[in-house]
Amino acid sequence: MKIAVCGKGGSGKSTISGALARHLARQGHKVVALDCDPNPNLGISLGVPREEVESMKPILNALLDSGHTHKDPKIEAEVLLGRYGVDAPEGIRLVATGKIERPSDACLCCGSHNTTRQFFGELGADDRIVIADLEAGLNDLIWAKPGADDVVLAVTEGSAKSVEIARRACRLAEELGVSRIIGIANRTVSDVDAKRIAEELGVETFTIPEDRAIEDADHLGVAAMDADPSAPAVTAIGELARIITS
Amino acid sequence: MGDEHELTHRDEWAIQCMQRQLLVLEDEAARAADPRAWLALERHAHSYARHLGTWLAKDRIFPGARAEIHRHAADLAAYEDRARREVADVDPATLDAARAALGIRVAVIGKGGAGKTVITSTLSRLLARTGRKVFAADLDVNPGLAISLGLPPTEAGLPPDAVEEHPGSIYGWQLTGAMRPIDVVEKFAAVAPDGVRFLGLGKIGPSIEGAGPQKTAAKQSVAALVHLLLGIGEADWDVLADLEAGPTTPFERYHAFSDDVVVVVGPAWRSAMTARRLLPMAEDRRVTIVNNRFRDEPDHPGLPARFRIPFDPDLAEAERQGLPPLDACPDSPAIAEISKLAALFAAPPGRRGPTSYQEVPV
Repeated sequence: MKIAVCGKGGSGKSTISGALARHLARQGHKVVALDCDPNPNLGISLGVPREEVESMKPILNALLDSGHTHKDPKIEAEVLLGRYGVDAPEGIRLVATGKIERPSDACLCCGSHNTTRQFFGELGADDRIVIADLEAGLNDLIWAKPGADDVVLAVTEGSAKSVEIARRACRLAEELGVSRIIGIANRTVSDVDAKRIAEELGVETFTIPEDRAIEDADHLGVAAMDADPSAPAVTAIGELARIITS
Repeated sequence: MGDEHELTHRDEWAIQCMQRQLLVLEDEAARAADPRAWLALERHAHSYARHLGTWLAKDRIFPGARAEIHRHAADLAAYEDRARREVADVDPATLDAARAALGIRVAVIGKGGAGKTVITSTLSRLLARTGRKVFAADLDVNPGLAISLGLPPTEAGLPPDAVEEHPGSIYGWQLTGAMRPIDVVEKFAAVAPDGVRFLGLGKIGPSIEGAGPQKTAAKQSVAALVHLLLGIGEADWDVLADLEAGPTTPFERYHAFSDDVVVVVGPAWRSAMTARRLLPMAEDRRVTIVNNRFRDEPDHPGLPARFRIPFDPDLAEAERQGLPPLDACPDSPAIAEISKLAALFAAPPGRRGPTSYQEVPV
């Protein structure tokens, strides 16, 4: 199974992707976590130490450093995963597509999008789960190009702008032919809020409650799962993991 | 070797862009009647040069136009020199006054959800309230700035009249050549509350049939809007842009037009990590770090904030409802802090404090 997680910046994509990956791994699944943000930080939510996240070399940067150019034969995603992935807690394999470090060092921007497409398209998911934490906004969803067999999670918090982007993500996923689109009403403070979001998204919607424990973990740059495993939001994401795989 | 390269549509487009820039600068030079106009011209040429940095760095981008790109860099530097010479003998007090009367050029960057849009919109409206001419652009394909300014989200894109198809343009489209950028703003930009003029990118959709995935409906107008921002040389306009979350758009130098970069930082560690990664993208510009939604946390290490917008439940409620904060909670502490930011930008440049990111104390 492949899961693409999208939404507005700051809606909680990485937090949810990270905790979801951890729960799925604990439930016995083999998990690959794909960080598609050119500002990679998914490692934090997975529980990888901060320094390690900072020094991690994404695929594109590593390839460029090794002198690989776009003219060289393409390397299979599976090989790249083995070569440039890092081990995260619970046996999760984490890999980032590309990191933009300074203006115009190379065409990293289009390159990381292409890598996202290659990885999301190529990686086999018969006996494992691939979770792709996409770049903020909708553009990366077009690049990842999830299909009929994939799952799209459209994450939003309560703000009108965030809901609007998640709504557009749902419509875009429908146009791409994705059969399972799940709205995630993140940081909800009331049932009324959750209901309003579900109505606006027009797809099956899962609710994650507002939880100070997530914010506290985020301030420290650690995984909520490690800081407070019994926090309501962490528990809710565990339930989401069961729903997705059932 | 570059000279032998076959000239493609893309190369021709690049050459045409550069020729247009020189025409604009020559026109500005011909009309320059006071020190402020020369300062504006110097700045304009410098913005073009910043943008050219991307073309200079990526040697694959327009392989048939390499010689022209290098020549253009020299031409732009010559305009900067000429403008500096024109004001060399002006007495310092007059020059300071001219500098103070120059409209500002601000790009707002930061991690997604940091608060870029609330800050850009509120800042734009507060500046407009003091009688300044303000143009605010949303460089994010996901609509947001329109809503925060108080416009319907549909009222966003560059109108069809302002954009034309061009086979060589990076995204297949460009700003029409017939109109000066400021005319596009005056004629087409939506009028937001307080008189702020607004343009965005329009809606994002699936790929245009037959085109690559990068050619989405919204991406059509990216190149046009970036060139529109770059093309506004007018001394009396304030130009502000809200950039897409993260490093991609600063990396592409969509903010080449700006003199000032506002980096918005949230209390989360990842927000600070993003801000630290973004600081070098400011290149030679003045950097203002703004902490947003802080409760009582200290500044992040290495990111000394000039302004600290407090966590504000009233503003959060305005965001939930999709209302412009300036209308929904005008007396909130968050708005009060953004007002101080507006006052900073209304002050003469010399009094705006620390300059480039290299000077930010760590």
